[in-house]
Amino acid sequence: MAANYWASSQRLHWQMSRAKLAETRRALDAMDEKVFQDFPLPHYRLLSIYFNQQLIRLGRRMQTRQQALATAQLYVRRFYTKVAIRDTNPYLVLATCLYLALKIEECPQHIRIVVNEARTCWPEYMPADTAKLAECEFWLISEMNSFLIVHHPYRTLRELKITLKLTDSEEETASQVINDSCVTDLPLLYPPHVIAVTAIFLTVVLKPSSSMGAFGSSVSNLRVSSAAAAAAAAAAANTMNAQERLQHVVNWFANSKVDMEAIIDCTQEIISLYEVWESYSATGEKSCREMLGRLVKQRGL
Amino acid sequence: MDSKRHPSSFQQLEKLGEGTYATVFKGRNRQTNELVALKEIHLDSEEGTPSTAIREISLMKELKHENIVSLHDVIHTESKLMLVFEYMDRDLKKYMDLRGDRGALDYPTIKSFTHQLLQGIAFCHENRVLHRDLKPQNLLINNKGQLKLADFGLARAFGIPVNTFSNEVVTLWYRAPDVLLGSRTYNTSIDIWSAGCIMAEMYTGRPLFPGTTNEDQLQKIFRLMGTPSERTWPGISMYPEYRTSFPVYATQELRMILPQVDQLGLDLLNRMLQLRPEMRISAKDALRHRWFEDLPDLRKRGMIQAERRGPVSGGSMGMGY
Repeated sequence: MAANYWASSQRLHWQMSRAKLAETRRALDAMDEKVFQDFPLPHYRLLSIYFNQQLIRLGRRMQTRQQALATAQLYVRRFYTKVAIRDTNPYLVLATCLYLALKIEECPQHIRIVVNEARTCWPEYMPADTAKLAECEFWLISEMNSFLIVHHPYRTLRELKITLKLTDSEEETASQVINDSCVTDLPLLYPPHVIAVTAIFLTVVLKPSSSMGAFGSSVSNLRVSSAAAAAAAAAAANTMNAQERLQHVVNWFANSKVDMEAIIDCTQEIISLYEVWESYSATGEKSCREMLGRLVKQRGL
Repeated sequence: MDSKRHPSSFQQLEKLGEGTYATVFKGRNRQTNELVALKEIHLDSEEGTPSTAIREISLMKELKHENIVSLHDVIHTESKLMLVFEYMDRDLKKYMDLRGDRGALDYPTIKSFTHQLLQGIAFCHENRVLHRDLKPQNLLINNKGQLKLADFGLARAFGIPVNTFSNEVVTLWYRAPDVLLGSRTYNTSIDIWSAGCIMAEMYTGRPLFPGTTNEDQLQKIFRLMGTPSERTWPGISMYPEYRTSFPVYATQELRMILPQVDQLGLDLLNRMLQLRPEMRISAKDALRHRWFEDLPDLRKRGMIQAERRGPVSGGSMGMGY
């Protein structure tokens, strides 16, 4: 795929600051005060987790590659910076984002298959008419201004694996962190290589044990500030048997021109995702499902 | 913004041709009077927006280069999608018919076009995009003598096509031997093979390898380049379409077939038309080939016909946007 991130539409048109993103979402919510009041929705963080779960469910039914899932997730996020969630049927949007992502990632599925599988996942909410999905796809392409090519952090990870001499299991963990980053706003805020480097930083330097998401609660208890991160890096180098390899990674971080502040911000975002994720549980899922269900039914979406 | 522009901003003029999944019209921007090419894509509720269209739009939105036809706008209406491209006067095939001597172009023009073709290819390859369907009909020429790559829609998502949806057979003439042999791991070198075929065609006015079937195409290539064997091409017998029964031909000298090409030009052609994909020169290296050394001088002396003469009349039906 088109490789030059620096000249890409992602960098030029689809990257924004946190403030801009927050303002965009506020403006969308404010567009229809009454609908906003009448149809309360869970916090966007919780919704993100719910959308992610649902996309993975649908994706699994069609043996979707992770990269296509990541693309679909970013489409959902981009689309909802242009259109208010409350004006859409989110289930139709999820299915459509995946359908479009499969085309872009060169593993297309027939529209009927996607509709049928989506109906198996969400029988109450997914329209049976393929024309609805086709229409929604058209809407999606239009709202995204036909900027559809997405640069993901996986490629940087593959490249840095060699430079940093990462083991296969480290690469695996880091790529899970990248998967998890798709549940956050990071892909709208930071370039893919920054997210990749964050994933490596979390994997190798902070070295958490795994239990949930990519990581266990040990990580979610960490409070990373820029000073702490530097200290952690130094400590990691000293305590973990001072392996040469780890030293190599730490040196690389020290000498690279990576924006450490961005890495810290990304790290915090991911850690706070894990915290929210921990508290999300079955009740969180239930309330997302109910609130969205009510929205789709009562607004006739 | 793209999506807000209305189709009525453009006056639709004559039909330029049927594309692979769309109809192309000449158009005029009512505000600026600028000519454009309008590619209309019809939507099908059974397939949504065609994958080919989606691939083309998304790639063209990223690939901005002077040797790649530029996509100005994408307009959404109720039932169709309209792509607004910069207007180009004709494709290379038509250009050769109109301007050439029985199709053959003059030396400075060939050099200029080959250079521009390679620049467009090099840019695609730097961005890890394969065109996969380069042919004279997909190279567009304007009255300033610029050459641009077009039609990025074909076959992106489904590999190399045998037939388009309209059942028109996709030409095999520019297809690399490794692809004809059934390779699924082809890379950037397939575009270089096509470029070599096109360069030769500009000299003679006739396609270098006008095959009719996959088998015939391979035979035409082998008749000139020699039939490869495990000795000359280790691993060739592993290709799905490889046959031990291929007629055995000896390698011909390119200069016997193309006596009009100078020594350096032959050298470049030879490097582009290598049977083994890994032996083919890259676009970047081809651009540094000594054959191009006198190009700035030819340009300065106004020797390049395409850049010198004014507009020529003549239809442009069927051009490959």
